[in-house]
Amino acid sequence: MPVLVQLNCDIRIIKFIYLMLKRPLTSAARGTAMSVYFLKESDLTFFLGRLLASSPVIAPVAKKSKFVFAELGSAAELRLDYDVTLLPPKTAFFPVKQKLLDFGPDGPKSAITPRKQVLFGVHFYDIKGIDMLDQLFAEGHRDNNYLANREATTVVGSSIQKVSSRAFFSTVGTDVQPRGHDAFLTHVTAGYVFETRTPKGEALISFGSFEKATAAQIEEAAGVNAAVLKRCPEKLEHSSELIAVKVRNAFANEELWTDLAKDCFSCGSCNIVCPTCYCFDVQDRWNLDQVSGTRHRTWDACLTNDFSKVSLGAGGSENFRERRGQRFRHRMMRKAAYLNEKLGGPACVGCGRCSAGCVPDIADPVRIINRIVGGRHGSSV
Amino acid sequence: MSTSIEKAKASKVKVAFFDFSSCEGCQIELTNLGEEVFTGLLQHLEFVEFREVMTETAKGPIDIAFIEGAFTREADRKRLEDIRARSKTVISFGACASTGGITALKNHMSDYSQCVYGVNSGAPHLASQKSEPISAAIKVDYAIHGCPMDKDEFVYIVSHLLHGKEPVIPNHPVCVECKMRETVCRYSYGHHCMGLVARAGCGAPCPADGIPCEACRGFIEHPNEESLTKVMNERGRMTSERAKNKSRMFTATLRGDAK
Ligand code: SF4
Ligand code: SF4
Repeated sequence: MPVLVQLNCDIRIIKFIYLMLKRPLTSAARGTAMSVYFLKESDLTFFLGRLLASSPVIAPVAKKSKFVFAELGSAAELRLDYDVTLLPPKTAFFPVKQKLLDFGPDGPKSAITPRKQVLFGVHFYDIKGIDMLDQLFAEGHRDNNYLANREATTVVGSSIQKVSSRAFFSTVGTDVQPRGHDAFLTHVTAGYVFETRTPKGEALISFGSFEKATAAQIEEAAGVNAAVLKRCPEKLEHSSELIAVKVRNAFANEELWTDLAKDCFSCGSCNIVCPTCYCFDVQDRWNLDQVSGTRHRTWDACLTNDFSKVSLGAGGSENFRERRGQRFRHRMMRKAAYLNEKLGGPACVGCGRCSAGCVPDIADPVRIINRIVGGRHGSSV
Repeated sequence: MSTSIEKAKASKVKVAFFDFSSCEGCQIELTNLGEEVFTGLLQHLEFVEFREVMTETAKGPIDIAFIEGAFTREADRKRLEDIRARSKTVISFGACASTGGITALKNHMSDYSQCVYGVNSGAPHLASQKSEPISAAIKVDYAIHGCPMDKDEFVYIVSHLLHGKEPVIPNHPVCVECKMRETVCRYSYGHHCMGLVARAGCGAPCPADGIPCEACRGFIEHPNEESLTKVMNERGRMTSERAKNKSRMFTATLRGDAK
């Protein structure tokens, strides 16, 4: 497994950049409906209330003018009408900063204590993001720090009620179906159609007053989920395969990347908000006694200057992506080309978070790709 | 590793604090560490000079010297060189020492002395020149950034040095920390913010409280100043002139137009 290790003259300060992993976590059972139920609008609160009494529920809630996934205090906080959340829901099992272990004179002790939880209300593009992480973290060296929390989580998808202003989920990786969820909730006229996809999802039925869905309700739900695909404000105009080839072929076009990254701050926001980014940095801290301490991992961002700095020993270092343009290019290569074969499609789900989060507004994959491949919104380079 | 700890235990690591042009707020901030942390550190450190809390002064060798304040008087060079000569490790302590901090605000003015001291401006003890980081006078090994310096980072750096390890000082912008804590970006309100070019490590408390970042930890390496002016102008609704001059507060010696 190619793991890039940076030793800052210190075996305990280790920078892991995990690349390439293999085996999918998702079972074949995912993706096919077990049963389809109907839940009346007025019964949602009761269902969530009972669910909350049995385990923590992480779901979209309002934060100022935006939305975030957070642990629900009560059913009333739930905002299924969210457009997109600031951070993707992977935080439920891959937190921004995660304590991996405590160490001391007696050696290390794992700090991973998975808890049973429900991740509720995930849009399909974010489920696709979770699928990718499931695959990447399970491949090769299985990352139990991720998988333990992931396996303890029941994921419930939700139809999209409001489309965010930079979304393009309907035209990216269209062949890739969302798999990593246990149930899916679709808002229809009188309530919700609730499809269970795994035994874990089926187990949720006992918490609410579900009825069997009628053929008409099932049809309405399918219509709702199909209709939302037409409402994306941004569009890719070519197949993932063609995009991958063209983006790769643009690799050596220095001028293009320098120009695209001219206004880039190397701020890493486009990485941090991305549901498919999975790089992290591992650091140790000593406790005051100076014999015990903790090891944490924190999300890392390949757009930042120090990400690609590696130790040459004796205080020396080397940055293998020194220029902004190189780092900017690397993200596009990772999102549109490098991982496609392994993942069966691009490592971008079209959530538009990077577009919205980039202050100079240069991170939008649609604009970058259309400029490279050519299309209504940009010329071929 | 264990050898340096054993050594540290046998003879505690000698630390000293010195101050130059500053408000001494960083030393005061240290006293905010709280009793538990302070007494914890005292198991490993011996304070040989620390004007805020003791009267003794250090004459002999020092393991770690923390220097607060900017280098702004040529007359201070000798004292700095003496500290350097006696110290194994020198750490600039806080914004003024690490980047010149707010004392460097005077660098682009010629009448600062009159502005501040009025009729007394000619008094010899008030004479000062360009404000520069301590590293302009002597070799500095590490910097603890921030105004005031971050006390948790102080503990982190000291702990690493006790073990003979290289502390990792963030060199990415505050944006990373805002995004991580899901702070709604100031620019999405049509405000401005320096977080795009400001060195992180603080945990981004200011934007989370609705206050734009002023870059008190200085710039990251290679800040994109042109782009900053552009976004402050286009998205932060500032005039181009104001955008260009905003903010000199903590970055006067780091900007492209540094005097
Ligand atoms: S592309 Fe935008 S979000 Fe990404 S690092 Fe550059 S400025 Fe930041
Ligand atoms: S690259 Fe941008 S649009 Fe694509 S998944 Fe990541 S954040 Fe979303």
